[in-house]
Amino acid sequence: MSLADRPVVDRLSAGAVSAWLERRALSLAALGTAAVLVVVLYLPVGLVFVEALLEDGSPTLGHVTEVLTDPFYFGVLADVFADPLAIGAHLGSLAGWLAAVSIAPTLASPVPGVDLPVPWLAVDAPPVRKGLFGFTAYQAALSTVASVAIGLPAASVLANYEFRGRRTLRSLTILPFVLPGIMVAVGFYAMFGRTGTLNTLLGAVGLGPFAFVETSPLAIVILAHAFYNAPLVARLTVSAWESVDARTVETARSLGASPRRAFRDVVVPQLVPAVLTGALLTFIFTFMTFPIVLALGGLQLATVEVWIYDRIQRLAYGEAASLAILETILSLGLTYAYLRYESAQTGFSQAPSPPPREALFPDVRTALSPRRLAILGYGCVALVLFVGPLASLVVGSFTDGSGFTLRNYAFLLERQLEGASFQTRPVPAIRNSLLFGLATLAVAVPMGVVISVLTVRAGRSGRLVDTLAMLPLAVSGVVFGIGLLQGLVFGVPLPGGWRLQVTGAVAIVAAHAVAAYPFVTRNVSPLLATLDPALVESARALGASRTRALLDVELPLVANGIVAGAAFAFAVSIGEFSSTVILASGSEHYTMPVAVERYLGRRSGPAIAMGTLLLLVTAASFVVVDRVGGRYEL
Amino acid sequence: MKRRALLGAIGSGSALGIAGCLTRDDGGDEAGDGTLTVVTYESMIDTEDSAGPWLKERFEDEFDAELEWEQLPDGGINHYVQRADRDAEIDADVYLGLNVDDLVRVDDQLEGGALFRELDRDRLERADRVRDEFSLGDPHGRTLTYDMGYISLVYDETEVAEPASLEDLTEPAYEDALLAQNAQKADSGQAFLLWTIDAFGEDGYLDYWQRLEDNGVRVLDGWSESYSGAYMEGERSMVVSYSTDQVYANRFDYDFSRHQVAFPDDQGYANPEGMAIFEGAGDVDLAYDFFDFVLSSEAQAEIATRNVQYPAVADEHVDLDEEFDEYAHTPEEMVSFDYDDLRGDLDGWVEDWAQEFAGQ
Repeated sequence: MSLADRPVVDRLSAGAVSAWLERRALSLAALGTAAVLVVVLYLPVGLVFVEALLEDGSPTLGHVTEVLTDPFYFGVLADVFADPLAIGAHLGSLAGWLAAVSIAPTLASPVPGVDLPVPWLAVDAPPVRKGLFGFTAYQAALSTVASVAIGLPAASVLANYEFRGRRTLRSLTILPFVLPGIMVAVGFYAMFGRTGTLNTLLGAVGLGPFAFVETSPLAIVILAHAFYNAPLVARLTVSAWESVDARTVETARSLGASPRRAFRDVVVPQLVPAVLTGALLTFIFTFMTFPIVLALGGLQLATVEVWIYDRIQRLAYGEAASLAILETILSLGLTYAYLRYESAQTGFSQAPSPPPREALFPDVRTALSPRRLAILGYGCVALVLFVGPLASLVVGSFTDGSGFTLRNYAFLLERQLEGASFQTRPVPAIRNSLLFGLATLAVAVPMGVVISVLTVRAGRSGRLVDTLAMLPLAVSGVVFGIGLLQGLVFGVPLPGGWRLQVTGAVAIVAAHAVAAYPFVTRNVSPLLATLDPALVESARALGASRTRALLDVELPLVANGIVAGAAFAFAVSIGEFSSTVILASGSEHYTMPVAVERYLGRRSGPAIAMGTLLLLVTAASFVVVDRVGGRYEL
Repeated sequence: MKRRALLGAIGSGSALGIAGCLTRDDGGDEAGDGTLTVVTYESMIDTEDSAGPWLKERFEDEFDAELEWEQLPDGGINHYVQRADRDAEIDADVYLGLNVDDLVRVDDQLEGGALFRELDRDRLERADRVRDEFSLGDPHGRTLTYDMGYISLVYDETEVAEPASLEDLTEPAYEDALLAQNAQKADSGQAFLLWTIDAFGEDGYLDYWQRLEDNGVRVLDGWSESYSGAYMEGERSMVVSYSTDQVYANRFDYDFSRHQVAFPDDQGYANPEGMAIFEGAGDVDLAYDFFDFVLSSEAQAEIATRNVQYPAVADEHVDLDEEFDEYAHTPEEMVSFDYDDLRGDLDGWVEDWAQEFAGQ
């Protein structure tokens, strides 16, 4: 070794390496994130999307045009897409439709099964052909309104009142989110069906039976969507509410604002981004809803996703990919619009100090106040909508043709003890779910945080990157699944007869992380954006590296968002079904939802018992996750 | 301090390498390694009482070979069609549980006679035992039928009377009574759709479904959603299901009044299930041994009882126990479409039907 090389050796001493790593940590994490995204998301989805734009190897817009101009998909809009320049004709048909609308006073019975006439203004409009896209958007919009309406009161109670079991209840709001579609369907039939729990209860007081599901399948599907998504809205809003700086409210009050005024002008603006995020995610999810619509509503309520699945089954990739691309464009467009709004909301918050909570029922007098009674009323609605299906499911796991039975659990136990290698056993399913969940946390949280950090201060280009970072939510689950199958499971052919395949646990965790990190980003970004940039600048001026400033200054201030995002990431992993079932097929890597699906044989008992176990394990892990996470909240 | 440690752990997320695996395609070899990989649907292998575990044990004893069950991936036959379409390797040797429409799909989407080998019936001792009317009618001779099921209606006799014909289902007596399945996805749903095409013709079936829709039929997703979800929770009084329904009702102590089997027009839609050998199978000799074994009298009886389907072989070759005879009902007349009837038409029929319902 020559003398000249010595400094290099010194430079490679341990301390120097870690300093170098620290300086580069952000770039390295960004590189890692990009690598995961390329292999698990862009490559598989790109493989499928390309089908829409290619015809026998040459580029074409034929497939997309065909879909856009098909009245089955776009209803009345198909004519507009077919001939966008014939503005006069389109306006003429619109005017014709408007002229045919009539409004007349009438009597209606809005309550099903009760003959209670109510004066009503009947709007009689000639039917508009919505097409598959129109109907899908319509039900998604209704589901979003319902989810926000049902989620917000829950958030307000959880954020502002103290009562026994509040934290546990807050942890458990995630439960509906992880339940497999078929379990939600069974739970809903068991609760709202003609011989369901609700009719049994109403029958006890001499009412009913009402055909809740039959009267309006659409209403039941929307309720089921709210069952899934209202908790999402509630959780997002609660974590924003708890990040509110109470001192700003006190300042407003000391300046003479009434409590209502202070709430409206100080608290609400800090909640709106979270509520809108919840609404946006709900709309995107319910736009891409798949099994639940057909399980509860029927084929009349089919959505675009149902057709994408069907086209893929028929190997009509061009049409399937065109539908999926249009879905994605719509979702990303909405996301971009929202992000423009969100980034305009930058503030100069220093640190959260949550508002004090008052006791829910301190004494009898307060308990009878209108506000407390409204909360009670809401509690009853929540009991019926959320606890009802879940409880009916649990009860269902203990019943059989002959009444109470332990048969279903005996089946699970027997399967665990004596199951053959080709059969699905419950304990490995539980273990895999938890392990994948933890591994997903370890991958998705850094991914989400890195993307937040990179995009928050990047201005316009940051918004674009941030929008693209939402791609996993905006891509059809069916397309993502088929892309994983063709890209990773079948493998990419390489020269020389080799294939690159990515399957097994690593692929599953990567797929879960890709599905989960947007939740981390969406929870962290708004908080990060409202931080005062001066905080980081001071730290940098005092010699901290960018990474050090992030770890010691920024992240502690947005710990709320990170914990909330981490909880979602864990939940997404536990509940993920469509890509897991593809990547786990024929291997030992099945998870709880996959096991539920596999136990659905000629009777549903064992599957419902497995679903109940899934609920128990999820509930327990969330109480733990929130307790552990809660220690880091400020 | 703890918080800082946690955030440090989170913040310095290490770049995660994707552990890929490189494999080399090697062509299938005829000789085989004494292991037969059989892919089949779930209910064939999902419990101790299913046919799968019994078949495995007996076959391994008899032939000193190994039988490995593999569960059919989500997507069924389409999974293998897609694999073949992408030239990805298929590691299974035998497919147990093919329907006629699966074959039609394979040929419509790949090419005539694709995916499976043509069977050499001279290598099979018991191939002639299979009833002719149960054949899948494959012109490329790839399949052998091993059992048979009928689609029928299951109804609650306390709520509705037995419908005498398909036409009856459009009457006011059956308003809001019937649950069917999505023919795009569910075998039972597709079978019922084909049954109505047989009854009302290519030109009349959509009109019939229009009348069913006016009478409030609900078309749910798969068989599980409609049967385990809606029907078993008392939502409606009639569901499209299988004619062996009472065998299960008896096993699980359900009240028989809700498990009555109806054959409108004295018909049921026949759904024979076949087995076939993949083109790239490793051990072809062993696959032929397996086929012969499945058609043996003992195996036929066990498959019928455990899988709750009818044997494929003629009566003199199989003895069934009493439970089966008592609770499994057969229609007087079977309706079915064979390969030639469906080839080229199936997708169009299903598509037209589905568009009738969706896209408001």
